Amino acid sequence: MNKTSFRQTSIGAVAALGLLCLSLGPVSSLAAQTVKVGNIIPLSGPSATVGQQGKNAREMAVAEINEAGGIKSLNGAKLELIYADSESKPEKGVAEAERLINTEKVNVLTGCWNSSVTYPTTAVAERYGIPFVVPVSVADKITDQGFKNVFRIAAKDSWWTRDQFTFLKDLQTEFGSEIKKLAFVYENGDWGQGIAGNWKKLAEEAGYEVVLDEPYPSTATDLSPVVQKIRRSRADVLMMVSNAADAILLTNTLAEYKVKLKAMISSGGGHADPSFIEATGRNAQYLFDIVEWETDVNRAGAAEANAKYKSLYGSNLTGEAVDAYLAMYIIKDALERAASLDPAKIREALAQTDLAQGPGMIVGYDKVMFNDKGQNQFASLVMVQVNKTDNGLERITVWPKSARRSGYSPVFPKP
Amino acid sequence: MLYFLEDTINGILMGSIYGLTALGLTIIFGVLKVINFAHGSLLMVGMYLAYWAVALTGVHPYLSLVVVIPVMFIFGYYLQDIVIKPIFKAERNVREPITVIIVTTGVWYILDNLTLLVFGPQYRVINDNPLRGKMVEIGEMLISVPKIWGCVTAVITAVLIYYFFQYTRLGRAIRATSLDRDAASLAGINQYKIYNIAFGIGTAVSGIAAVTLVPFYNTYPTVGVLFDIKGFIIVVLGGLGSITGAILGGMIVGIIESVGPQFMTATWTEAIVYGLFLLVLFIKPSGLFGVKYDW
Repeated sequence: MNKTSFRQTSIGAVAALGLLCLSLGPVSSLAAQTVKVGNIIPLSGPSATVGQQGKNAREMAVAEINEAGGIKSLNGAKLELIYADSESKPEKGVAEAERLINTEKVNVLTGCWNSSVTYPTTAVAERYGIPFVVPVSVADKITDQGFKNVFRIAAKDSWWTRDQFTFLKDLQTEFGSEIKKLAFVYENGDWGQGIAGNWKKLAEEAGYEVVLDEPYPSTATDLSPVVQKIRRSRADVLMMVSNAADAILLTNTLAEYKVKLKAMISSGGGHADPSFIEATGRNAQYLFDIVEWETDVNRAGAAEANAKYKSLYGSNLTGEAVDAYLAMYIIKDALERAASLDPAKIREALAQTDLAQGPGMIVGYDKVMFNDKGQNQFASLVMVQVNKTDNGLERITVWPKSARRSGYSPVFPKP
Repeated sequence: MLYFLEDTINGILMGSIYGLTALGLTIIFGVLKVINFAHGSLLMVGMYLAYWAVALTGVHPYLSLVVVIPVMFIFGYYLQDIVIKPIFKAERNVREPITVIIVTTGVWYILDNLTLLVFGPQYRVINDNPLRGKMVEIGEMLISVPKIWGCVTAVITAVLIYYFFQYTRLGRAIRATSLDRDAASLAGINQYKIYNIAFGIGTAVSGIAAVTLVPFYNTYPTVGVLFDIKGFIIVVLGGLGSITGAILGGMIVGIIESVGPQFMTATWTEAIVYGLFLLVLFIKPSGLFGVKYDW
């Protein structure tokens, strides 16, 4: 059997078998039936759970793409996922990138979730000129280094605070209620101080008055002194960064002291802890929190994708999983337009991505379009409000407005 | 001025609860001459006991004392009898046996991780209890009701323990053992039995502290660690082995933590508390209210 007739057979009814033979045998550029997508993610070690979510989401997306006929401009070429375990270790990520590029001859790379791994690993891809799609790794520096082959889908670190302030502004416009005085209360570690530093700059630019700037130790056993300061500062809006135990204590103490605020805005972490709502109950009502993604975002196909994922893997989609899912569709979109497996052409196509709809677009924001540094400039986070529904207290997506849960109107100012 | 008064009151209330959490530590040290590193874990065990007693029956949190005190006493009694006593016997010629400290550290890790395995990492709060979130309003001032209950309980417990040690036969036997265990043994006191009882009392007192915390604080596997560190500071501040010292030391820490943040950020008050701790160690190693000889 010569190569051409072999190819024809494989396109027929025994496509699956043909695929298997091809991936084992030598692949010539003419007979390219698969696109190799290399994924460097933490499949063991401390971030293994997140890595597994990313793996599940990738598999779900690739199965869908292949079932729908693969990459049409490449004669229905299928996507093939190849995994490498980073173990959350930078040196492991770098070594695996070398291996995937040189030995496995992957066409595109994705990963690595841990920013500390992504940062050095993207440098390897840049050196070989292999396009590297980063679904989510938040460190700003990953796209700030100006690499040509690195494309990040999710919002970067500094955009969390940016979006909190954009949300605050949108809230005032929507409800015609003015906010002047802000109070910042945050855990005194690296994380809290970093966020508060950004807040201070943003507040100054936007012309808010900061009436309280209070770092506190997360190990505090009594937060009533801090709550007293918030109460006496007469702030309109309280912005918080907390770990779990202190988020619960802070929320409950605020309610005990009947602190009057127009809104409370938190920064994920402890406020997003699974036991937070249960441990605070009504006291958490009307709180706004920032997240990567929430299961109720008002996007076509989001609920269905979540239901499918849940039936396959037994848990809800997470922000990380959604970004990985979208990454596969972005790669598919770029391959369709590139109509080639040449890394330079795939890179060109990725740089011209302009994706606003399709099965992958179940994220909170409207569009994927990369800027000249490879950062998705439309990426944003999602704001949720904790409020009562028929199912008890829930986190309800309220912002961006286009992703708001249908039929829900946020409660502002806080009654 | 009003603010100052409000903060001072909160400091005294919260501080006396800190004192109560440290009381068990000081009792155990006073008698066994051993720093019990598992103390925070005993408090945590007490909190889980109280939490489940209240969550399952829905009674007033303080009614759980009926269960918590005896269970914690028995738990402490046998913990000392089975786990710690053998080590004590091996080191019987030393006044302050170091290996026992290491054993208590082991107990701390085992208890915390066992709780994590059995109950998971969740933060538990009893949402429906008659004390939860209650405040007394005096004009502009707000004072927490569960903390008032806690403060009253702390003072009553300290007074009862004090009188028990001073005026009962068993109390005198405990003090005798604490002063000189060999002489006490010569006088016919069973040293190890006294140790068991003292450890039981210390654990039961932690149980009482746990009950005062449950109405307004979260229960989770590592909660003891926070109070452990605070407990050590308070005990050194007040004087190791001193009952009044524990309560007053707690109040000092509470007042610094509560009044301090009005003049600086809350982060600094921690530094002040630790600074005071070091200062006391330098100037008066026996503690502010401690005596040179225990009791």
